Amino acid sequence: MTLLDIRNLNLAMKSYEGETQILHGIDLKIERGEIWGMVGETGSGKSLTGLSVSRLVPSPPGRYVAGSIKFRGKDVLQATDREMRGLRGRHIGMIFQDPTTNLNPAFRIGTQLVDVALHAGHADPSVLGLNPGASRGDLKKAARRAAVEMLEKVGIAKAAERIHDYPHQFSGGMRQRALIAMAMIGKPDLLIADEPTTALDVSVQAQILRLIHDLVTERNIGVLLITHNLGVVAQICSHVAVMYRGRILEAGKVDDVLKRPSHSYTQALLHSVPTAHTKRGELKGLNGLMPETAA
Amino acid sequence: MTLDIQNVTKNFPGPRQGFFGRGEGFTALDNVSLSIRKGVSFGLVGESGSGKTTLTRCILRLETLSAGNILFDGVDIHKLTPLEMRRLRSRLQIVFQDPYASLDPRMTIHDIVAEPLVIHGDVVNLNARQRTERVLELLLQVGLRSEHLFRYPHEFSGGQRQRIGIARALAVGPEFLILDEPTSALDVSVQADVLNLLHRLQEELNLTYFFISHDLGVIRYICDDVAVIYRGKLVEQGPVAEIFDHPKSDYTRMLLDAMPDPDPDRSPFRQKDAV
Repeated sequence: MTLLDIRNLNLAMKSYEGETQILHGIDLKIERGEIWGMVGETGSGKSLTGLSVSRLVPSPPGRYVAGSIKFRGKDVLQATDREMRGLRGRHIGMIFQDPTTNLNPAFRIGTQLVDVALHAGHADPSVLGLNPGASRGDLKKAARRAAVEMLEKVGIAKAAERIHDYPHQFSGGMRQRALIAMAMIGKPDLLIADEPTTALDVSVQAQILRLIHDLVTERNIGVLLITHNLGVVAQICSHVAVMYRGRILEAGKVDDVLKRPSHSYTQALLHSVPTAHTKRGELKGLNGLMPETAA
Repeated sequence: MTLDIQNVTKNFPGPRQGFFGRGEGFTALDNVSLSIRKGVSFGLVGESGSGKTTLTRCILRLETLSAGNILFDGVDIHKLTPLEMRRLRSRLQIVFQDPYASLDPRMTIHDIVAEPLVIHGDVVNLNARQRTERVLELLLQVGLRSEHLFRYPHEFSGGQRQRIGIARALAVGPEFLILDEPTSALDVSVQADVLNLLHRLQEELNLTYFFISHDLGVIRYICDDVAVIYRGKLVEQGPVAEIFDHPKSDYTRMLLDAMPDPDPDRSPFRQKDAV
């Protein structure tokens, strides 16, 4: 069964000036073991596509005009809130761009991790390695153990001690790792990463990418990686979808799309990335192709 | 005009402990020496926390130095009187990293760009009408249009805001421009336009750039010389081509390797598993 099957997704947003259609018929299929990159500029709708999968687009103002998002055969858009809560964290993990705003500064890292682990554990004790009908105490202990294990796995040294730290005691890279740990602790089948490395240094970015890559090979999960960095896509993604103003212009295997882009927009996007080999004057912006709109 | 940074050290004191005690301090810059010649784009690369921004703050004298000198045209910046320092600042301007935070949301674009002209009124000496003309000229120079003059920052995209920041920095006709990660908050496509704009301006106005970035691709594209900084110490410096093609230190090599290249064949992940 296809892990995630987005068909003809149309999303409109209401504002004082009336309704604007944001997504125009998005089609995307993600299988297990695939890392899909979704690239596009600010305002192209890539984040909203990602948020739609775990139905985190508030409605109103959002309204799905047409389409379906089937996660393991079941339409997410038709699911009840209760079913959605069961999916989020447990089956669909999410990592957001800014690790500072997505961790609660008033709670210890460990508390926040254990929270997610317990949530997943209540729904399905096997996530924490327990039999169904395990006692609350066992669940709590297992959740704490899982939190430490997960932090170690994402490469935080002395995890058993650092778990008692508050988010401000972590560096940017460590916070992002903590968020990844939080997204992975429920052993999800699908990971949605919305610009997970944009706020980080290149060296830390490389580590985080390696981490995501290893998780995919180890657990055979599917990943939707939303980014505006084509370099990141070229590094770890197996497939890529290029978005422009709410449409997917081009989608396919990374090798095909990035090496032989068939759409002029993809070519232009590739030309705008400075690399270690770009010479002066070679870089071209996209002025005129994508009118700058107010953010 | 040259900027000479000689053996600059900057310590930040540690947290207070008890009545008189101090915790262990932090050395943000450790014996840093650089020399930036006129008309050159000098790049400074480093990760977050490496001291890049502290160095710019020292150059602008927003921080005091713990040791060392910073000479601008042979004059020690940190020994100037406040009045002399203000005069000097008209030759030394900065473009900030975050175009969303560095423009006052309650000022029009005209007022934002005209503000340095007012502050440095003793150097530029323009009346109100001349100031408006100058602002208009600057907006056109950075690729904005005259109808943008009386709009507010929130009406602009990130790329346009950064252009406004550049126009403001250029207003008083500086020779030396500090660019503190001017494109890190922008999309790659918009970044390319801003970088090309900076190129053009440098040629037109004969500017000297001190360009700070953690993006090696950007540094390679815009700079002539580059210095790599790690934990407050300079790791290496030299012409861009030399540092990028033949890095001497392991740290620089690591940075270069970590840079994601949009060519799938250069990916470190792709070699072991053919997807």
